[in-house]
Amino acid sequence: MKRILASVTDGKGFDIGLVVLPLAFLFVMSGLPLVYNVVMSFQEVDMFSLGSFLRPFVGFKNYVDLFSQPETRPILFNTALFVSASIAGQFLIGFGLALFFWVNFPGASWLRGLFLVSWVMPGLVVGAIWNWILSGDFGVLNFLLRETGVIDGNIFWRSDPNYSLWAVIIANIWLGTSFNMILLSVGLSGIPKDLYEAAELDGANALQRFWTITLPMMRSTIGAIIALGLIFTLQQFDLFAAITSGGPNNTSNVTQYWAWDLSFRQYDFAKGATISVIMIVFVMFASVVYVRSTRHEVRG
Amino acid sequence: MGIRRSAILGALALASVSLSAFSASAEDVTISVWSLDRDIQPAPNLIKDFNKLNTGIKVEYRQIQFDDVVSEAMRAYSTGQAPDIIAVDNPEHALFSSRGAFLDLTDMIAKSTVVKPENYFPGPLASVTWDGKYYGIPKATNTIALYYNKDMFKAKGLDPNKPPQTWDELVEAARKLTDPAANVYGITFSAKANEEGTFQFLPWAQMAGGSYDNINAEGAVKALDIWKKIIDEKLASPDTLTRSQWDSTGTFNSGNAAMAISGPWELDRMIEEAKFDWGVALLPVPEVGAERSSAMGDFNWAIFANTEHPAEAFKVLEYFVSQDNRMFKDFGQLPARSDISIPPTGEPLKDAALNVFVEQLKHAKPRGPHPAWPKISKAIQDAIQAALTGQMSSKEALDQAAEKIKAVQG
Repeated sequence: MKRILASVTDGKGFDIGLVVLPLAFLFVMSGLPLVYNVVMSFQEVDMFSLGSFLRPFVGFKNYVDLFSQPETRPILFNTALFVSASIAGQFLIGFGLALFFWVNFPGASWLRGLFLVSWVMPGLVVGAIWNWILSGDFGVLNFLLRETGVIDGNIFWRSDPNYSLWAVIIANIWLGTSFNMILLSVGLSGIPKDLYEAAELDGANALQRFWTITLPMMRSTIGAIIALGLIFTLQQFDLFAAITSGGPNNTSNVTQYWAWDLSFRQYDFAKGATISVIMIVFVMFASVVYVRSTRHEVRG
Repeated sequence: MGIRRSAILGALALASVSLSAFSASAEDVTISVWSLDRDIQPAPNLIKDFNKLNTGIKVEYRQIQFDDVVSEAMRAYSTGQAPDIIAVDNPEHALFSSRGAFLDLTDMIAKSTVVKPENYFPGPLASVTWDGKYYGIPKATNTIALYYNKDMFKAKGLDPNKPPQTWDELVEAARKLTDPAANVYGITFSAKANEEGTFQFLPWAQMAGGSYDNINAEGAVKALDIWKKIIDEKLASPDTLTRSQWDSTGTFNSGNAAMAISGPWELDRMIEEAKFDWGVALLPVPEVGAERSSAMGDFNWAIFANTEHPAEAFKVLEYFVSQDNRMFKDFGQLPARSDISIPPTGEPLKDAALNVFVEQLKHAKPRGPHPAWPKISKAIQDAIQAALTGQMSSKEALDQAAEKIKAVQG
């Protein structure tokens, strides 16, 4: 006993405690629900057995049922498209803006702060605003496109199956761009200025400096942003609820919205959990890729 | 001295014990009520009035959010913390009654002098019925009908006192009223991918001989074809597929649609916003003389089966029912009863509209009742949207829905 106490005061036991406590916390707060979720996907769950843990075990039935539903494949495809298009859009525009504000003209930091407005707005508010902007008959976006001659007739962004998913993607890019911009700005300001001076002396032009200095120096920032972007877009729910409700006919439905719909609107908790498990696998795969890419960075 | 003092103390102690025991036996029975009613709506006000009566029953109220009603109730019930009384949306009633979560009120209602099944409209009553027994009492009700802009009817040479009676007349009128140059659609309604879409479509299917367990009936296919025609010819905005009923009717109020299918919950807003003469007509039927049908909305009261005070809880419900004649006057909601006449509001447009809605209510049918209603509803929503966006024909879409519904019914 004394030895244990001593080890705590000495430091080694203290160190172990520092590791064990947060691990225990993590396990209870996110590990257990995760395990519970996986278990639920193998059970027959109904709203009245929701309170008990002992429920009939059905093996892979939920998975088989899920994949035999006609809407499953399109929804998985929508999710992949939503995630990749959103991340690409947020990142490219965010990077562009970060480079623009890096130039440091008068008022640059003030303007950059204004961009954060989109980030502090709740998703449902953003959704409601974009709902009006994207409205087919009276929407501002259609008005702008029509006046500039890009389109002849109105595009029904929310209701046309060809555009409905893009309607949410556009709103989501707007929502996430400022976050990307801020993180990338931080990354940019971390690059030593003398690197550029040296390159300039050697005769490298702007594009060459960007390719050979900016991008490589930003690798870990970019990796982190894309990993975070993946998580944020996979949990984006409010915009779907506010703009399209996953319609028309599931053309803008994605797994996260579908999981909610199955669990809390159709009360099919087992299937909702099953979709969540599929999403967990997806996120884990992505995070392995992310961890591997940053490990390479550390060894560098 | 010492002995006497302790004797007095002892007597006092005894007295206080017996006093507190006495007051405990006279303590009120507490009944908890959950509903989504806000402070200007019936539940909290009726409860306040009831508590003033000092009947020995004390009612506690908790407001829950619309989206949380069912999941909160389920969680509470499965962990034994359910309230005594709850208000649930009518298509979700069967879910609870079929599993024995709600108390069977049949015998209590039979003995009651206040709650009489024959006083209710058949639709709301059917929604609280499961297996021939009553598992609740309708709280309020509503339905949908056709609003139309009389000024636009006149301007386009249509008789403002002869609103369309049949589907063909409706489409014909919509064609005449549609005016893209003026940003006016002939009609507006909601085919949204949630319960609202089902709520609006099901009456059409039912009028033509379809039903939720026969959703691919010939008449239902025809109904969906008519909807498709309306969307394809741009007689209604393509955004009908993503717009709620509230937003759709907003375009009617602003003069961007000549007709609207919606419910009495719009009346107050319409009187405030609509700067034109309007009227309400019964939902058009497939052909003259066809059976009428309509949607039915709003909530029901129920008592949870694991309540410790079923008799007292029922007394509270009886009190609510006894106040049904205040439902419209004080709270603007339609009582689910045919024996209560709606008092005139002094607003001629509103009074005329209410008469139509009360007439339409006689034909209102519940959604289901079926324990797995949300899944059935989802199948119907998907079918509507698949057909309207041209991804499938009406027949294919409804056949697929019928298959899904069959699977749900098991």
